[in-house]
Amino acid sequence: MEQASPPVGLPAETVVSEQALRRRYVVRKLLRSPTFLVGLAILLFWIFMALFSTYVTRYGPFAIDPYNTLTGPSAQHWFGTDDSGRDVLSRTLAGARPVLEVAPLATLLALLAGTTIGLTAGYYRGIVDEVLMRAVDVLLAIPVVIAGIVIVSGLGASLAVIILVIAILFTPPVSRTVRSAVLAEREREYVQAARLRGESGLFIMAAEILPNCLPPIIVEGSVRLGYAVFTSATLSFLGFGLQPPSPDWGLTISQQSQNIQVAWWTVIFPAVALATLVVGANLVADGLRRTLSE
Amino acid sequence: MRRLVVRRLLLMVPTLLVVSVLIFLMAEIVPGDVGRSILGPYASPEQVAALNHKLGADRPLVERYVRWLGGFVTGDWGESPILQAPVTRVTFESLVNSLLLAAIALVVIVPTSIVLGVLAALRRDSLLDRFISVTSLSLTVIPEFVSGVILLVLFAVVLPWFPVTASAPPGADLLTRIYHLILPAVPLMFVEMGYIARMARAGTLEVLDMPYVRTAVLKGLPQRRVVTRHVLRNGLLSTVTVVGAQVGWLVGGLVVVEKLFNYPGIGRLMAQAATLHDVKVLEATVLVVAAIYMLSNLTADVVVAALSPRVRLGG
Repeated sequence: MEQASPPVGLPAETVVSEQALRRRYVVRKLLRSPTFLVGLAILLFWIFMALFSTYVTRYGPFAIDPYNTLTGPSAQHWFGTDDSGRDVLSRTLAGARPVLEVAPLATLLALLAGTTIGLTAGYYRGIVDEVLMRAVDVLLAIPVVIAGIVIVSGLGASLAVIILVIAILFTPPVSRTVRSAVLAEREREYVQAARLRGESGLFIMAAEILPNCLPPIIVEGSVRLGYAVFTSATLSFLGFGLQPPSPDWGLTISQQSQNIQVAWWTVIFPAVALATLVVGANLVADGLRRTLSE
Repeated sequence: MRRLVVRRLLLMVPTLLVVSVLIFLMAEIVPGDVGRSILGPYASPEQVAALNHKLGADRPLVERYVRWLGGFVTGDWGESPILQAPVTRVTFESLVNSLLLAAIALVVIVPTSIVLGVLAALRRDSLLDRFISVTSLSLTVIPEFVSGVILLVLFAVVLPWFPVTASAPPGADLLTRIYHLILPAVPLMFVEMGYIARMARAGTLEVLDMPYVRTAVLKGLPQRRVVTRHVLRNGLLSTVTVVGAQVGWLVGGLVVVEKLFNYPGIGRLMAQAATLHDVKVLEATVLVVAAIYMLSNLTADVVVAALSPRVRLGG
C-alpha cells in the first residue's frame, strides 16, 4: 500500500492550493466509486437507526409481551417476537446503537494512541522505537478476541471497559502503520528544513510529518472501524460485552440461539443486520483505500 | 537462518511470561472469585472464604504466581477446582478436538483461496476478479457467529441436512465426527479465505509484471507452465506468511464457533474458564494457544525463507 506523495518543497501558498485541489479530486473520485457509495448508504442507514429507531418502530425494544412469545413474522410483528414476546424488528433496529457507540469511539481512541506512539517511535528511532515496538509485539502475541476475553473478564463488562479494551487491542496495529508512514517521511527535505530551522521535535511531528501521513492513517482508521464492529459484536456474543436486556446484536444472537430450531427469526434478523453493518463499514474502507492510496 | 530461529524461539519465553503475568493480574482484579464461582450465589461469605483458603486462593498474589509458575514449567499444571480434573488433561483433550475442527477448515481453505486469488489475478479487472474480490472481502469481515447462525438456520433448521450441534454422539467413528464438523468449519473458512485469496491475488499480480515472466511468455511457453513454474513460486511467498498469521485468527474464531455449535474445544474451554475465573485453566489454554500462534508465525517465516532464494541467501 503506497501512500500519496505530497507536494514537497513548494512555496506555502502553492502547497495549500495543491492540497485543496487534491482534496477536491479525492472527494469527487469517492463520490464516483460505487463501493464507497453503497457502503456509505449502509452506514448512514444504521447511524439513523441508532439515533431514531424508537421513533420509527411500533414497539419499544424492551417492551415484553408474555402472551405472544416466539411468534413468527406477521402483520403485527414483521420480524416476529422473541422468547420474551419482544418485537424482533424493534430490537434489531435499536441494536445499531450499542455497536455504534462502542466501535467508533474505540477506533478513535486507538487512532489517537496509535498515532502518538507511531509518530514518537518513527521520529525518534533508537531506544524509544525499540521499547515501544517490543511492547507492541507483546500485545500482538495473543489473538485479539482472546486478549479481549481475558481483560473483560478481569475488569467486568461495561460500556467504558469494552471501548477501552478494543482501543488498547487496536493500538498496536495502528502504531505500526503510522510508524512505517513516518519512517518514509522523516528523511525528506521538508523535515530536514524544519530541523535546520530549529523547530522542536513536537512541532515537526505534529505540524510537518503528521499532515503528510494522514492518508494512510485515514485508511487504517476506516479498516479498524470494521474490525471494531467485528470485535465488539464477538465479545458480546461470547458474553464479555453488553449485558441483557440490551438489544445488542451479538448478545441477542447468543441469547436467542437456543431457540434456533423453533424460532429462526429471533436470530436471523440481528445476524443479517450485523452482517450489513460490517460489510458497509468495509466497503467504505475499501473505497477510501483505493482512492487515497493512488 | 538457524540463528534467526533460535532468537525467535528465545523471544517467545519472555513474551509468554508477560502474558502469563497479565492473566494472573487480570484474574486478581475480578469482581468474583473461585470460591464464589464454585459454591454459587447462595453460599455464605464464610463458606466462600473457607473454600478459598483451602484452595490457597487467599495467599498473596506473588506467592501464588511463583508457585503456579514453578508447577507450570515443570509440567505440573495443577487441578481445576471447577472442573475437578487435571488441567493438563482437559486442556489437551479440548486442544485435540479443536485441532480436528481447525484441520478440516484449513484443508479446504488453503487450496481454495489460493486458486481463487490466482484466478482473480490472472483475469485482472475482469468481472470475475471484481466478483471474487467483493465476495471474499465481504465474507472475511462478517463475524463467524453471524455466518454460523445464518448457516445453521439454512442448512440445519430449514433444510435439515446437517446436525445443529458439532458434537457427535460418544463413540462415533471419525467420518461421523467430521460430518458433524462440516457446518462449524464453514464460518472459519469464510473469515480466513478472504485474506489468503487477497494475498494470493496481490502476490501473483506483482510477479506477473516482472520481466522474467514476460520473458517466459515471449519464449512461447504455454500459459499453464508459466503460471505453475514461474509465477506461483514467487507469487505465493507472501501468502505463506499470511497463512501462518491466520492461524491466530482461526483460534479466535474457534472460541466463537465452538460456543455457537456447542463443541468441546479449547476455545470454549478458555471462554468458560474466563467466565468462571478458573485461573489455572485460563493460563494453560491461553499460553498453549499463544505458543501455537507464535510457532505457526515462525514456521511460516521459515518456509518463506526456504522457498525464496533472495531471503535464503540474503539472511
